[in-house]
Amino acid sequence: MTSHPANGLDDIVHQRVRLGILTIAHEARRVEFSYLRDTLGLTAGNLSQHLGVLETAGLIAIEKGYAGKRARTWVTLTKAGQAALEDEIAQLKLLISRIEPAGT
Amino acid sequence: MTSGAVFSGDDPRQLLSGTRELTRLVRRTQRATWFPLLVLAAVTFAAIPFRYSPYRLGTCAATVAVRVCTAYPPALLVYWPTALVLAYVVIAVFYIRRSQARGVGTRVRPFVVAGIILALAMTGSLVWTLYHPLAFTLGPGGLFSALHSYLFAIGLALVVLAWAERNGPLLAFALGYLAVVLVTATFGPVSGHGWLGFPVQLVIPGSVLLLGGIGFLLAQRPWRRAA
Repeated sequence: MTSHPANGLDDIVHQRVRLGILTIAHEARRVEFSYLRDTLGLTAGNLSQHLGVLETAGLIAIEKGYAGKRARTWVTLTKAGQAALEDEIAQLKLLISRIEPAGT
Repeated sequence: MTSGAVFSGDDPRQLLSGTRELTRLVRRTQRATWFPLLVLAAVTFAAIPFRYSPYRLGTCAATVAVRVCTAYPPALLVYWPTALVLAYVVIAVFYIRRSQARGVGTRVRPFVVAGIILALAMTGSLVWTLYHPLAFTLGPGGLFSALHSYLFAIGLALVVLAWAERNGPLLAFALGYLAVVLVTATFGPVSGHGWLGFPVQLVIPGSVLLLGGIGFLLAQRPWRRAA
């Protein structure tokens, strides 16, 4: 018996906002806090919470610095984050293929 | 603009289409295709006066059928690698500053590295051909010269940029530009000889780069912040 693809979903990644953060970090390679906040339409506090969850899970790395006098926070995807994102996308595609059999 | 509206819901289809939309959004924010095209067009047009600098005779060689001599203005051998390396440095600085301002990383490094390597390799190769003139008898017409030109090296670098940025329109443009370079040099009405020959070979590809730069500028509208 094969397990249902929903069982393969990682609860940390299978969350709308966190999946969005990982997707943006993957495509951008390096993304700034304010870009994530504006693009995902979040408050700074809400975004910080999600970043904390992802950082604790080792899926992203956070680097703080300054650009002139402005404090900047940059987010990069770790190798584990990359693998988790690829796995989530694969599981989503599998789920969709189960919901929508070929030809429908 | 935020993507909150497009990236909503927990349905797998919505999540997957949301990731695709975010990917498109990030790519739009990262791309500044117009800038390298305009810089490289300027470099190409600026090469025209060097065409009229004094030529130096290289070497001659002969086969049973043909005798070939090489001649090249030394100023061009200095101009092209210097101008191209400077251009790629300017492009890299522009992309990095833009990346800092917009808050997303940049994918310009492979393009800059490939562009500089190609410019220097082309210079070495051109110096080599000055002493091996029979290389010019390979292929039809000016095909060897076209493949062995800085204009062709620019096109190859643009292919690398299209790959790095996953930019389909730029890939189509770069391939079209390479075709123009090859056709102009190989089958053009004036294939590099005489007073106007060389400028034609520069003006046509330079104009393609300029028009491409203007086209991408209008399409990408950098004055309207993407995110």
